[in-house]
Amino acid sequence: MATVPVLIGVSILIFVMLNIIPGDPVAVMMKERISPDVVEKVKAQMGLDDPLIVRYFRFIGGALRGDFGMSYKLNRPVSRLIMQAFPNTLALALAAALVSWLIGIPAGVLSALKPNTIIDRAFMGFSVAGISMPIFWSALLMQYLFALKLGWLPVSGFYGAKYLLMPAVALGWSAAGTIARLSRSSLLDVMQKDYIRTARAKGLSEVRVVVYHALKNALLPVVTVMAIQVASFLSGAVITESVFGIPGLGRLAVDAIRTRDMPLLEGSVLFATFLVVMGNAMADILYSTLDPRIRYGR
Amino acid sequence: MRFSKWLCAIGIAFICVVYGAGTALAQGGVLRIPYLEDPKTADCQTQTISYLLPLNCFDRLVECITVGPGESKIVPGLAERWEISDDGRVYTFYLRKGVFFHHGTELTADDVVYTFDRMLDPNTRALNTDILDWVEGARERMDGKAIYTKGLEALDRYTVQITLRGPYAPFLAVMASPQASIYNREFTIKSGNRFGLTPETTSGTGPFVMKEYVLNDHLLLVANEDYYRGRPQVDEILVRITPDPETLRMLFEAGEIDIFDCDYAVSQIPYFTNHPKWKDYVASSPRVGIYYYSINQRIKPFDDVRVRKALQMAIDRKLILDELFYGKGHLENGIMPRGLICHNPDLPVIEYDPEKAKALLAQAGYPDGVEMEIAQVSGARQWLRINEVVQAMLREAGFKARIRQMDEAAFYATRSTGDLPSYVQVWSADFNDPDNFFYTFFAPKNTVARSFNYESQEVFDALEKGRSLSDQGERCELYRKLEQVIVQRDAAWVPLFSLEHVYVLQPRVKNFVAPWNGWSDMSYYGIRLED
Repeated sequence: MATVPVLIGVSILIFVMLNIIPGDPVAVMMKERISPDVVEKVKAQMGLDDPLIVRYFRFIGGALRGDFGMSYKLNRPVSRLIMQAFPNTLALALAAALVSWLIGIPAGVLSALKPNTIIDRAFMGFSVAGISMPIFWSALLMQYLFALKLGWLPVSGFYGAKYLLMPAVALGWSAAGTIARLSRSSLLDVMQKDYIRTARAKGLSEVRVVVYHALKNALLPVVTVMAIQVASFLSGAVITESVFGIPGLGRLAVDAIRTRDMPLLEGSVLFATFLVVMGNAMADILYSTLDPRIRYGR
Repeated sequence: MRFSKWLCAIGIAFICVVYGAGTALAQGGVLRIPYLEDPKTADCQTQTISYLLPLNCFDRLVECITVGPGESKIVPGLAERWEISDDGRVYTFYLRKGVFFHHGTELTADDVVYTFDRMLDPNTRALNTDILDWVEGARERMDGKAIYTKGLEALDRYTVQITLRGPYAPFLAVMASPQASIYNREFTIKSGNRFGLTPETTSGTGPFVMKEYVLNDHLLLVANEDYYRGRPQVDEILVRITPDPETLRMLFEAGEIDIFDCDYAVSQIPYFTNHPKWKDYVASSPRVGIYYYSINQRIKPFDDVRVRKALQMAIDRKLILDELFYGKGHLENGIMPRGLICHNPDLPVIEYDPEKAKALLAQAGYPDGVEMEIAQVSGARQWLRINEVVQAMLREAGFKARIRQMDEAAFYATRSTGDLPSYVQVWSADFNDPDNFFYTFFAPKNTVARSFNYESQEVFDALEKGRSLSDQGERCELYRKLEQVIVQRDAAWVPLFSLEHVYVLQPRVKNFVAPWNGWSDMSYYGIRLED
């Protein structure tokens, strides 16, 4: 239920901020071929001369009816632009999440089971590299190696599964480190618990102890982080989208800021905010499903 | 167990999404070109940034073609011939018969009248109305005081007459610019505000027909089988939008695109020109465009001509040209670069002389030097490279310059109010006429909107006179004199150089002709592919 105030707050914040910083959507649309007479006329025609408050209420009035207006620069309905970009971002986010889990969880588990060994160090080193390396850099290295030198994968574009592999790894690797570290420390913690000792005393194999008894409890905090990570991939994979030429939400929003395209920025940021709020809600639900002791609203 | 089920479900969902997200594009017989930014629309009346679609999907009454490196000529286009009245006010265009729009209707004089009237109609919110400003009744139409444009008239099915409010010498050249592309009345009205945004709502007479358009991703243009000049040589053009220049270069080297425009990555020019594989496939052509530094006379002490002259002398242009652009260009000393009609090769040379600059500053009352700012769009590497070098040069001559990086929208907004400090930019000819350079920078409102603030009645009067003269020799003389006044006498502009435009091509690309004016946008009509 906190969603509505959050969305209203965000919408006001964007509106005010974009009006405080200098910038002129018509001037930036025309760039070098600017003509002062045209700027003046077109601004009046677009209603940009009206006071801030009038423009805000015009926007919010439309938004309440589900109409975010037309993008200044792209001259297309904002809602359609977002809906066209969203599936691409969703595909990237899910693929990146999958990569981060497939790398992060096994790395964390193996490191926790063999703490302070060479395996632990190697896995943790790999994860830390992922966190530390900027995405544009790892992306460039991969493009150079896998596309240019080896010719296995396409450099960029978005026309099918093989186009998704490099962007998913670039984005997922950076998140895998967090998951690996978190699952390692959480599992280490759990392995000291009494019920693990009990399980071992029952004569269960080590695999059963880890998979059925330890892991399920250890991954609770990890699940929360995973859900929030997916939400953040959905709202902010700008660099990955640019480097690999994916027509997603991040690029749409950044272009909107660059060109002071208010309707498009409001639309895309509100949509992203909504996704983040949903991601948090999802984390809560997952949490309470995994751990029946936790119930909200009581 | 529940865990693994979830993972399975997520995996399946993921695979579905990925496969649904797009289908592989067909290759072969296709010219593949990259673009850093999406062209946004094919409607050239409502945008000023990209000429790709106007030049390939539309035609104009007359066309400006490239006849040699940096040389151009106006030739018949949709109009097979034309007449200009003796007083230079009335232009009569005789249209070709049997030219069809992509959706199948024949081109008529009424379409031409509609096209230009649509541009002036305030509801269109057109950004290129400047080119029609001289048409009689244009201002009334733009202000909403008239419901048609008085100076536009279809005399019969194939004859159109355009009357100007006074003689305007560059008008024919203007009619060849991409902004003057001709639309079909019925189709354009039917498409409404979606005109030019999708294949279904785009129709011109040009050599290529828009077939697919996915915003920020790709465009597919296919050959117009019924093109009036004959079908183009390539079957399709695939335009890939890739915002990252580094990725673009890799796409080129991986053989996924056919033409690499070195404007995207100037620092790569030596790499390509020395590379055993690519050096034979480098194409370059002079650019009818000039690099310059602006000077804002509203910012003190640049209101003093001595300070401005000192600034002109403080920049070692030869060094920048040689080191940053690998010598691929020529120094310019005026406003009209090489290739523009009326270009004057005999202008006095602006010498690099930091000592003399210092002396001039001292004379102007600044023996300890002057502080100044150089503005640029943040992150624009091509400008930062120049600005950093110039900053160091200026220091030698007593100017303590600070580079101020601003985001694009702030940069252009500040500039349009006349408050932007000096900046470096390039202007390439939209049409081959001095008016396209002089008026753009030094007309009363433009000099403010480009942050020059060079308020000279003498210049304003000369600009108006230049527009109305019809004798080309007389016009050239006027512009050459004006150029000396602005650059040499008043030092209101710092000319740098004109550069070659360098492209690298895949070996299969034949018949590539770099456009005369140096644009990155060009017509791909004549290109052939050999596989």
